[in-house]
Amino acid sequence: MVTREDVENIALLSKLFVPEDELDGLTKSMQEIIDFADAINNAPSSDVGFDNINNLSNVFREDEVVPSYPVAEILKNAPEQAEDHFLVRNRE
Amino acid sequence: MGCKAVKYELVSGFETHIELSTKTKIFCGCTTQFGGEPNTHCCPVCIGLPGTLPVLNREVVRFAIKAGLAVHGKIADVAKMDRKNYCYPDLAKAYQISQLYEPLIIGGYIELNSGRKIRLHHIHIEEDAGKLIHQHGDTYVDYNRGGVPLIEIVSEPDIRSIDEAKEYVEKLQQVMRWVGISDCKMQEGSMRCDVNISVRPEGAEKFGTRTEIKNMNSITNIARAMEYEYERQVDLIESGGKVVQETLRFDDATGTTSSMRSKEDAHDYRYFRDPDLVTITVPREEVEELRAQMPELPGEKLERYVDEYEIPEKDAALLTKYRNISEYFDKAIDGVKSPKTVSNFIIGQIFRRVETEADKEVFDVAVSPAQLNELVKLLDSGKIRNNLAKSTLEKMLDSGKGALEFISESDMGGVDDNALLELCKAAVEGNPKAVEDFRNGKEKAIKALVGNVMKNSRGKADAMAAEAKIKELIG
Repeated sequence: MVTREDVENIALLSKLFVPEDELDGLTKSMQEIIDFADAINNAPSSDVGFDNINNLSNVFREDEVVPSYPVAEILKNAPEQAEDHFLVRNRE
Repeated sequence: MGCKAVKYELVSGFETHIELSTKTKIFCGCTTQFGGEPNTHCCPVCIGLPGTLPVLNREVVRFAIKAGLAVHGKIADVAKMDRKNYCYPDLAKAYQISQLYEPLIIGGYIELNSGRKIRLHHIHIEEDAGKLIHQHGDTYVDYNRGGVPLIEIVSEPDIRSIDEAKEYVEKLQQVMRWVGISDCKMQEGSMRCDVNISVRPEGAEKFGTRTEIKNMNSITNIARAMEYEYERQVDLIESGGKVVQETLRFDDATGTTSSMRSKEDAHDYRYFRDPDLVTITVPREEVEELRAQMPELPGEKLERYVDEYEIPEKDAALLTKYRNISEYFDKAIDGVKSPKTVSNFIIGQIFRRVETEADKEVFDVAVSPAQLNELVKLLDSGKIRNNLAKSTLEKMLDSGKGALEFISESDMGGVDDNALLELCKAAVEGNPKAVEDFRNGKEKAIKALVGNVMKNSRGKADAMAAEAKIKELIG
């Protein structure tokens, strides 16, 4: 059962501000999401479970350097940047 | 506070992060090189862009297995990667890929000089976070370090003193460098410790409430922080207060600890299996192959030097502090009569040329092990004496040339038995007064005769042999 406190806690952990008047709606939505995902728990499970359905293991890369991206490409999606850094503003 | 009625025991456990010296990051092919212009060792994977997929670096697994073998840990048959969720700018994905439920290495220990074993809970692999620079109230993020492979070595709360803590960190650093998986430079952040610490009345079984001091980057500061935190907790309890479980930071300037985050920020990482990464099944053959490749570890070597070569433990510890020194020593003792002589030359003379710890670790010495070996063999064969060997070693260290460049045939000649007999006869004939004194019971008078032999052989004769020979002649 999802409670208002759960939603508040998740908002806090995600550093999201949730206005008081949206809490009830979000609690209801989140319960629906959980219920939907719960459908998986009712599916017939195999011996291996869902942990590794492709039965894959040991997919590795070799330790070989490939060129990195130019800094301009790396920063392309940054909402803000300065001196070739991602810039995170202090909102307080 | 004054004299305390109750004595308090310190209880501590460490979480140590070590950056692995693989060429590339844990989940992508970007370089792990330290430094570099900001955000130039990055790609869509290590800045966590949606839609990218991490692929595990095979070498990270091998390095972690080596680390596990180096601390006598058990290598798991199956290991998995988990997501540790937290929202902070040093992680672009808002989760760190780590291991919680099925880590690669289980157990193990670090043995202290006292023989006490500090048990390890496990060692897991994970990705490092980016570097944050706080400036003008804002935060500048450089993801070059993001995705650099780490191992985290989690100890049991077995440490009982600050000295044990220091030794634990030093031993861990030594052995991880030894097996070549990390440079463990605390000042560059390639080795960092989180220190868990609590106190309890001596004799009590139950642990006290612990605090955790984050991100310690020098052994000196670890000691300072622990000292401060021990006193703080004891004073708190003595004055009727209670230790609150919290995460602390240590302030280098003031030597004090302070709370890092408030209670409502208490961590809730909501770990779960990372669906992007498949299971690691560790083939036993690979573990055995790595085990076979393991060098003799420092602790084992130290014991062997003491037991087999009769080297004092203190000297053996110096020889095994860095792998390069011990390898130099191992080469230099090949076929010599007394490895201790070699040890004395290294510690007494060569160490004076490699003063810093960094230089000792590299141990790039002008005299090769083979050249030192040659010099010691000249000494072994009686061709030269200790004083000459010492002064020759200095010249060798200055020039990088071999012993024979400085020792002539004539230096080595003239001390065979016949020559010695002639020298002794001459000394006896030339000093009738000393001979008479000796015969009259003045033991010391023989020193003058030996001195004469030494002088005339220009220091090359064996004084003990000369003394014996003279006694034969006049006794």
